Amino acid sequence: MAIEKDLKAILGKLKYSDDAKVAQQMTEQMRQVQVRMAGIKHKLVVMSGKGGVGKSMTTVNLALAFARQGTKVGILDVDLNGPCVPRMLGLHGQSLTMGPAGAIPPVGPLGVKVASMDFFLDDASPVRWKGPMDVSPAWLGLMEMNVIREFLADVVWGELDYLLVDLPPGAAADKPPVIAGFIPDLAGAIVVTTPSEVASDVVQKSVTYARDMGIKVMGMVENMSEYRCPSCGEVNELFEGNTEAMCEALDLPLLGRIPFDRKLARTFDKGEPLLDETYPTIQRYQDIGGRIRTLLDYKTVLADKL
Amino acid sequence: MKFVCLNCETYMNFEKVEKPGENTLGVFFGCPSCNAKFSMVTNPGETQMVSSLGVKLGGRTVEAEPFEMTRGTLKAEATAGPSQMAAYLNEKIQGGQPAAAVTAATSGTPGEKSSSGCPFSAMVAEMGLTSSGKPGNAGAATSEFAWSPDAKEKLDRLPSFVKPMVQSSVEAYARKQGYKTITLQVMDDSKNDSSNGTTWTPEAEKRLENIPDFIRPMARKEVERVAKERGMATITAQVMDDVKEKFLKFM
Repeated sequence: MAIEKDLKAILGKLKYSDDAKVAQQMTEQMRQVQVRMAGIKHKLVVMSGKGGVGKSMTTVNLALAFARQGTKVGILDVDLNGPCVPRMLGLHGQSLTMGPAGAIPPVGPLGVKVASMDFFLDDASPVRWKGPMDVSPAWLGLMEMNVIREFLADVVWGELDYLLVDLPPGAAADKPPVIAGFIPDLAGAIVVTTPSEVASDVVQKSVTYARDMGIKVMGMVENMSEYRCPSCGEVNELFEGNTEAMCEALDLPLLGRIPFDRKLARTFDKGEPLLDETYPTIQRYQDIGGRIRTLLDYKTVLADKL
Repeated sequence: MKFVCLNCETYMNFEKVEKPGENTLGVFFGCPSCNAKFSMVTNPGETQMVSSLGVKLGGRTVEAEPFEMTRGTLKAEATAGPSQMAAYLNEKIQGGQPAAAVTAATSGTPGEKSSSGCPFSAMVAEMGLTSSGKPGNAGAATSEFAWSPDAKEKLDRLPSFVKPMVQSSVEAYARKQGYKTITLQVMDDSKNDSSNGTTWTPEAEKRLENIPDFIRPMARKEVERVAKERGMATITAQVMDDVKEKFLKFM
């Protein structure tokens, strides 16, 4: 039975067909992202150079600000390992409803739709993937990017005016700008910073890197600008920094300043967000939301006002 | 991945994929001509890379489910968490001595050393601040110009990486204007000095003020760009009308 066969000769006689179509499967994946996102008018990413500057708090409040202006809004929380948007909006414990058309996101306050890794996790349990993730971090990176792709491709957002994407923290060498590159027809990025971060060059790094990736950086939000003492009401600076000068140097509009507001933050920590639009800090978010809308429609503004 | 039946000299047909065990796949093939069957069994990890790409082995036969990969690869619970692993190693290697104590004993001295000093020193260093709380003097280049104290203070308040940029642009402006001393006024004027040499008529400048301030720089650039396209060095009301006309098309 041991006949010497020449594989090359056999294959030469056969008609080759690529059944797996790996490249095609991957093209199809990206096409699906495009199809899924087609019903969303403005896609914005919220990013920062460092963690802990209040990116999620900004994302959530801007989403609420847009929703208050009567628009349809969604939040995509792509911080896979530290998702906190659902908790802030009182949606923790809910889940995506899987259907033939895709995953239907739960709806939070003011009709804001939310998709997050949090919906796949139990209380206090971190993300754990099957497979030899401990063998190589490269593997984990591949996995995570594909999970993010599924978040972009499989969530049934329906028609939205704004989708705000809360990116994980990170500057140049990290992934966030790459994730942003995943999103078709991205309107732009909003960079969140604190005055203390301004003293270092991480903000500049993330802005430059985003621009290198072809992402339009729309402007900067300065968070934790000042601290209002809850007992005496006195307003003090928390950090020393000059965000205005930095915005000028980077040729970016400063979209607004948000004080460190313990009272407001607490309501989000508890998952019972304060929604009162007459509240001063919320008004600041409303102003920033208005400025972002003006920036998105700047062509119309120029035609109208010039 | 394909298989050829060497007897019949034809491709075998892919039939199905089964999961005979955790981390392993069995891929079934059959020869359409002699009906020979065989199954290829993968070693753990061999097919993980492909499935991490969300790509189906042998081609996609059914539509992908929403979050197919995320749901398929998330561990239901911690089966062999690090603590269990530590317990196992403790049992096998340390002979029952708690692993944590061993680690602490060996790493005690260097750990102590690194934690000495002010706990905020690392943070301060990261922020680019010196211990006096002032921004580090990284960009203190010598200057051919005399800076007035208030102008110098304004410059020094800038983030260290911005400082050289601002300093050189202000000094370039001062050089052009023939100034020897840089005052706050010079700094402000240099900001309004358009680098591309276009000038604005007062009327055009006034009309620009209708634009909300945070998008005004953007509008200014846009108008200057249109003017440059048309080879005009002065921004007049006519240029403004042209820009307006251009953007009306987007409404």
